[in-house]
Amino acid sequence: MQRETFLSTVTAAVAWSRLPELSETDPGGLVPDLSERDPVDLFCDRLAGIDGVVHSNRDPVDVIAEVVRAHGARTYLSWDSEWLPFDSSRLAPLGLDRIESAFEPGARSETQAGYMEVDLGITGAEAGFAESGSIVVRSGPGRPRMASLVAPVHVAVLERSAVYGSLAHWSTARADSISDAANVVFISGPSRTGDIEQELTLGVHGPKHLHVVLI
Amino acid sequence: MTPVTFRERANLDIGTHKAAANDVSARRLHKKRAVAAAEFSAFESTRDRAREIRLHTLAHLDRYLGEFADSVERLGGNVFFAADAAEANEYVTRVAGEEGVSLAVKSKSMVTEEIELNHALEAAGVEVVESDLGEFIVQLAGDRPSHIIAPVLHKTRQDIGSLFRDELGVDYTDEASELNAIARRHLRPIFLSADMGISGVNFGVASTGSIATVTNEGNGRLTTTAPRVHVAVMGMERLVPNPADLMVMFDVLARSATGQRLSVYTNIVTGPRRPGDPDGPERLDVVIIDNGRSRVLSSSASEILACIRCGACLNVCPVYRVVGGHAYGGVYPGPVGSVLTPAMAGAEGWADLPYASTLCGACQEVCPIRIEIPRMLAELRAEMGKESGFGWLRTGLAAYSRVASHPVLWRAFLSAGAVFGKAAGRDGWIERLPFHAGNWTDYRDLPAPASESFRSWWRKNRAT
Amino acid sequence: MGDYRRIVSRVQLFVTCLVDGFFPDVGRATVRLLEAQGCEVEFPVDQTCCGQPAFNAGYRDQARSIAAHTVAVLDETEGPIVVPSGSCADMLVHHVPDLLPDDPAARRVADRVRELTAFLVDDLGVESLGRSGPDVCVTYHRSCHGLRNLGLSGQAETLLDGAGGVDRRELQGTEECCGFGGLFSIEMPEVSVAILEQKIENIEASGADVVVGGDVSCLMHIGGGLHRKGSPIAARHVAEVLAGES
Repeated sequence: MQRETFLSTVTAAVAWSRLPELSETDPGGLVPDLSERDPVDLFCDRLAGIDGVVHSNRDPVDVIAEVVRAHGARTYLSWDSEWLPFDSSRLAPLGLDRIESAFEPGARSETQAGYMEVDLGITGAEAGFAESGSIVVRSGPGRPRMASLVAPVHVAVLERSAVYGSLAHWSTARADSISDAANVVFISGPSRTGDIEQELTLGVHGPKHLHVVLI
Repeated sequence: MTPVTFRERANLDIGTHKAAANDVSARRLHKKRAVAAAEFSAFESTRDRAREIRLHTLAHLDRYLGEFADSVERLGGNVFFAADAAEANEYVTRVAGEEGVSLAVKSKSMVTEEIELNHALEAAGVEVVESDLGEFIVQLAGDRPSHIIAPVLHKTRQDIGSLFRDELGVDYTDEASELNAIARRHLRPIFLSADMGISGVNFGVASTGSIATVTNEGNGRLTTTAPRVHVAVMGMERLVPNPADLMVMFDVLARSATGQRLSVYTNIVTGPRRPGDPDGPERLDVVIIDNGRSRVLSSSASEILACIRCGACLNVCPVYRVVGGHAYGGVYPGPVGSVLTPAMAGAEGWADLPYASTLCGACQEVCPIRIEIPRMLAELRAEMGKESGFGWLRTGLAAYSRVASHPVLWRAFLSAGAVFGKAAGRDGWIERLPFHAGNWTDYRDLPAPASESFRSWWRKNRAT
Repeated sequence: MGDYRRIVSRVQLFVTCLVDGFFPDVGRATVRLLEAQGCEVEFPVDQTCCGQPAFNAGYRDQARSIAAHTVAVLDETEGPIVVPSGSCADMLVHHVPDLLPDDPAARRVADRVRELTAFLVDDLGVESLGRSGPDVCVTYHRSCHGLRNLGLSGQAETLLDGAGGVDRRELQGTEECCGFGGLFSIEMPEVSVAILEQKIENIEASGADVVVGGDVSCLMHIGGGLHRKGSPIAARHVAEVLAGES
């Protein structure tokens, strides 16, 4: 259908609509009162509460080494080193194979076929929301979306100073930045479902394990 | 005989294990919502703001749709405006043809259920696989979802174990985690090799052309990331003006739906893959669907278009809890469906849905947008009463209205009742009545009318 | 909304159609409660019904006719209009003015309407009634329209707890609908009764001998269900219990 025809139908419908009057009063603040809690402490509590694992004040490479041992990981998908807030060349001694994630349009299926074997994803995170235990992960050059999505284990490295009180705190400063990238995601814990009798099960399609290293 | 009324459909399910499973799950979700609402100090003011945003958007929907389409196109995406299901399906099928798509993967979307997109694509030779665990189960079983956010609320783990054994050729298990692992293994190669990902849209942002999909499993992200072509299908009302408004919606959606503070993957896509991006779809098509929504917008039920599909009204509804989602017949169950389905599709076949409510008001109380569902149900009854199948009420109510509008007739009516009460009541209870009144006494006893009405007592004892 | 505490003397009783014809004891108990607080109770004899049965079923013209009559009768009187029903009070406060937008009397009447327990607690400041009657073990069902549309917030429970000889047990799910829903109860009786069964389970689990409510319509449904299954539990209006009549 032509856009003009469609929109003129909507214009007519709007004119006939019987929407309730809006109250004139300002609803008040959208930012929750979290004054009793230190944001970083709250972030740790809340992320742990949704089955994420927080590593506070740890060397990311040490954490990754532990994760590699615990899961027997052999391959990984990662953001490029320039986007990671630690020196990723120090991962070399772990003996992991890095799986290439950037591809030309024609090589999609070939590249993605390799993802069946990925054991670990490594990314940064540009912000955290303490109240919901969430991290903000933005895609872009050198930052594949798949690194936070396709492996059974995801390790994200977040600077403590980037932890905001809540989504609403972040929104005030940063909401408009969502259009700066083709993909921005707020990740709150590992992949989960309650579809079967509402029994919580982790790792349906996304990672089963989420580790956040706070530096 | 195929049931054609709500009452008939409901009666098939009332008292079954399916309805019992539904009740338990709905109550559990409701309780989680209550905890999340109590814990978030800004919840009530955020709900007020969310209501303002949604109503404002609807009041200027034409403008915001134009702005949204411009934004998507500026990013290199395509926008198609579909007046109805046929136009939408025809367009998506055409895109699949252009791109040589043989396999498409879908994340959960109510609107594609509404337009029956899967049928259209399959008829064109495209295999479509549902990837949300619940929807995947529904698809395997050839069943229909029974809840907006929890499609297999009505199935037990044993049902699902048998289904996987029969359809996927795996050993029987009724462990949720093993069933989950089976689905993951089955779906993973499909995600990574599908040519087209089809998603719904929780919210579109007019100023940026962003599309938000909210999932817990990650299937929404995979669907919008791995395949070469991303088709986003959106009901035309699902916009917010700008990114700050989107964040307000996020703050109420998950809390109301599942009691989570945020869903696991609150995913925002703004256009197709950009130059230098390592991954993401090459092509993005947004299909904006009317399919009866402009009819709703111009009706007494305009406000229902503010719904954000959280399902909270289902979980709290006493009727939904005992009958489950299938009794509602359409794609949208529960109180929201009782308004939306007849308002979208018209009275024919749906006029009894507005009557599937006690008007208890619990839905409005929990709705994150505070939508006045009971008001609209009552208005739809006024508009559709004749076609509702409850036309027999008219005769009785017309007579009652005449009597209750004239004090002389009213006194005579009460006197007759008192005589009847003396005669009919054994121990003051009536156990059997004829005609439609039997709908009461078939299930409950009815107190007999008093042998002396209040006004009669008053006249004798108090009147001066 | 005025403060009646200082000026209370005369109140109008809108007794509701069901109390008038089926449950006159509730009307008598209401009169006794109000008189015990020093109110002079008047009963406008030409009153009939608020029109809610027709309104909720979608028959607005029929509802309007009844509502117009009721408004005309009540508008000729003075003082607060006390209604022993949250649902009928809600009808008079919220829906009747919408049905009669051109009738300023509808608005005037709406502003004077008080649900009984809210009138006693909020307007008269009553907390303890000095009930004299047999000891009774009760549980309280919060009917929907009073709860959600009028915003009743425990006035009935306050009165029950302050009355002598009343042992009140918590009712699980007290804020859940009983399944009555006006004519819904005969339009979709199986659904109505399936909801009622859940309510009855909770009532039985409370251990009370009497289930108390503020609306005889819901109580007729609950009581009818209890009686059909042979339960010894009785359903009574809060006015009856407070007046010591059960």
